[in-house]
Amino acid sequence: MSTLRTEARVALAIARKDALSELRGRHATVSTLFFAALVLLLFGFALGPDSRRLTEAAPGLLWLAIVFAGLLAVGRLHLVETDDGALEQLALYPIERRAIYAGKALAGSAVMLVLGGVLLPAVAILYGIDLARAVVPLVATLVLGTVGFAAVGTFYAGLTVRMRAREVMLPLLMLPVVAPLLLAAVQATAAALAGDPFGELAGWLQLLVVFDVVMIVAGAATYRFLLEE
Amino acid sequence: MKARILGIAALVSVVAAAIVGLVIVPADLNQGDAQRIMYVHVGSAWVAYLSFGVTALAGLLWLWRRDPRFDALALAGAEIGVIFTAFAIWGGMMWGKPVWGVYWQWEDPRLTTTALLLVLYVGYLLLRRLTDDPTRRATRAAVVGLVAAIDIPIVHFSVVWWRGLHQTATIGSPDRILNPAAPLVFVLALVSMTLAMSLAWAYLMVRRYELARLEWAREESARRGRIVAARTPATAREVAR
Amino acid sequence: MSDWPFVVAGYGVILGGLALYAALLQRRLAAARRSGPDESSPLEDE
Repeated sequence: MSTLRTEARVALAIARKDALSELRGRHATVSTLFFAALVLLLFGFALGPDSRRLTEAAPGLLWLAIVFAGLLAVGRLHLVETDDGALEQLALYPIERRAIYAGKALAGSAVMLVLGGVLLPAVAILYGIDLARAVVPLVATLVLGTVGFAAVGTFYAGLTVRMRAREVMLPLLMLPVVAPLLLAAVQATAAALAGDPFGELAGWLQLLVVFDVVMIVAGAATYRFLLEE
Repeated sequence: MKARILGIAALVSVVAAAIVGLVIVPADLNQGDAQRIMYVHVGSAWVAYLSFGVTALAGLLWLWRRDPRFDALALAGAEIGVIFTAFAIWGGMMWGKPVWGVYWQWEDPRLTTTALLLVLYVGYLLLRRLTDDPTRRATRAAVVGLVAAIDIPIVHFSVVWWRGLHQTATIGSPDRILNPAAPLVFVLALVSMTLAMSLAWAYLMVRRYELARLEWAREESARRGRIVAARTPATAREVAR
Repeated sequence: MSDWPFVVAGYGVILGGLALYAALLQRRLAAARRSGPDESSPLEDE
C-alpha cells in the first residue's frame, strides 16, 4: 500500500514539475493557445459567414481545436525531457515507470484543461453559443475529454519522442486512436448545449469514462516498454 | 514445399468460390447482383480481423518472450491485415453504390470502423519503417499493436451508438446475408468464399513470415558486421582491404 | 441500371489485388534469398 502511495507522490511531483514548467514558460502555452484560436478563426472563414452553420458545427469545431492544440501540448511535455537526456535520467531512478506515465498524463491534462477553459468561451463568442445553460455538463465533458486525450497522447508522445519524423508520426499514430473520444466528446457537447433533449448526454459521458479508464490502464501498463530501450 | 501446396490449394479454392459467387448462385431478390460482392467483402473483412488479432497476440508474446519469430509474425499479420482491410473497404463501397446509392455511408458502423482500422495499421507499418534497431522496432510495434487492438472495440461501439441515436433508415443491411432465414445457397457461397480467402490468407502469412525472418537475419548480420568493423582498428582494416 | 460493373470492379480489384500481392511477395522472397548469403559481412565470423 505504501509503495502505491510513493508512486502517487512521484507521479504528482512529476506532474507538478511539468505543468509548472509548461505554464511558467509562458512562451509555449501562449503560442499553443494562439494557434488554437487561429484554428477557430480559420473554421469561421471555411464555414462562415452564415452564423447558423457555425453554431451548428460549434461542438465539432471546438473539439478539433482542442485536439490540434493538445497534440502540440502532449508532444512538448516529452520533448522538454530529451533536451539534456532528462528522460533517461528519470528512468534511472528506482521508481515505477507507470508513476512517470501518470505524472506526465496528469500534467498533460492540466495543460489541456487550461487550453479548453480558454477555448470554450472563445467558441461561445465567435460562434454565438450560450454557455450559461449547460456549464456543469460542459465542464464534465471537457475534463473527461482532456484526461482521455492526455492518457493516449502521453503514451504516443513517449513512443515517438526519440523517433525520426516524430512531428508527423505523433498525430498519425494517435489521432485514429482518439477518434472515439472525439466522437463521444462532440456528441456530449452538442447534447449539453441543446439541453439534452433525447437524454443521451449521460451515455456519451459514460463512454468517455470507459475510454479514459481503458487508455490510462493500457498506457500505464505499457509505458515501461517505451522507456527501457 | 508445403507452402507451395497450400498456395495451389488457395488458388484453386478462390477461383472455385468466385465461380460459385458469380455464376452458380442466383441474384438476390432485393439487392440483385450487387449482393455477389458481399461474398468477397465479408471474406476480406473476416481475414483482416484475423490478421490484426494475430498481430496483437504476437506482439504480446514478443514482449513476454523476446523471440524475434513473434515479431516476424506480428509484421506479417499487420501487412496482410492492411491489404485485406483495403479490400474490404473497396468491396463495401462497390456494394454500397448500387444498394444504398452512395459509396460511403457514415451511419454504417462497419465501414467507419474499418476505415479507422486501415489508418491505425498503416501507422503501425510506418512506425516499423522509421525504427532502425530491430529490437526497439519490435517493442514499439508490439505496444502500438496492442493499443490499437484495445481501441477497435471502443471505436466500433461508439460508431454503433452514433448511428443508433441518429435513427437513419438504412436500406438493406449487410446483415441480411447472415440471417438464419437466408436461403441456403447464399450462405454456402459466403462460407465457401470465406474459407477460400482464409486459405489464401494462411498461404500469404507463411510467405510473409518467411520474408520477415530473412530480413531479420540480414539485419542482424549487418549489425554484427558493423560492430566488428567498429572494433577492428583502422590499420587492421586497411591491411585487410 | 445493371449492377454488374460494380460486381466486376469489386471482384476484379480484390481477387486481382490478391494475386498481385502474392506475386510481389514471391519476388521479394526470391530477392531476399538471393542476397541473403553474400550479404553477410566477411568479418562476421570473428
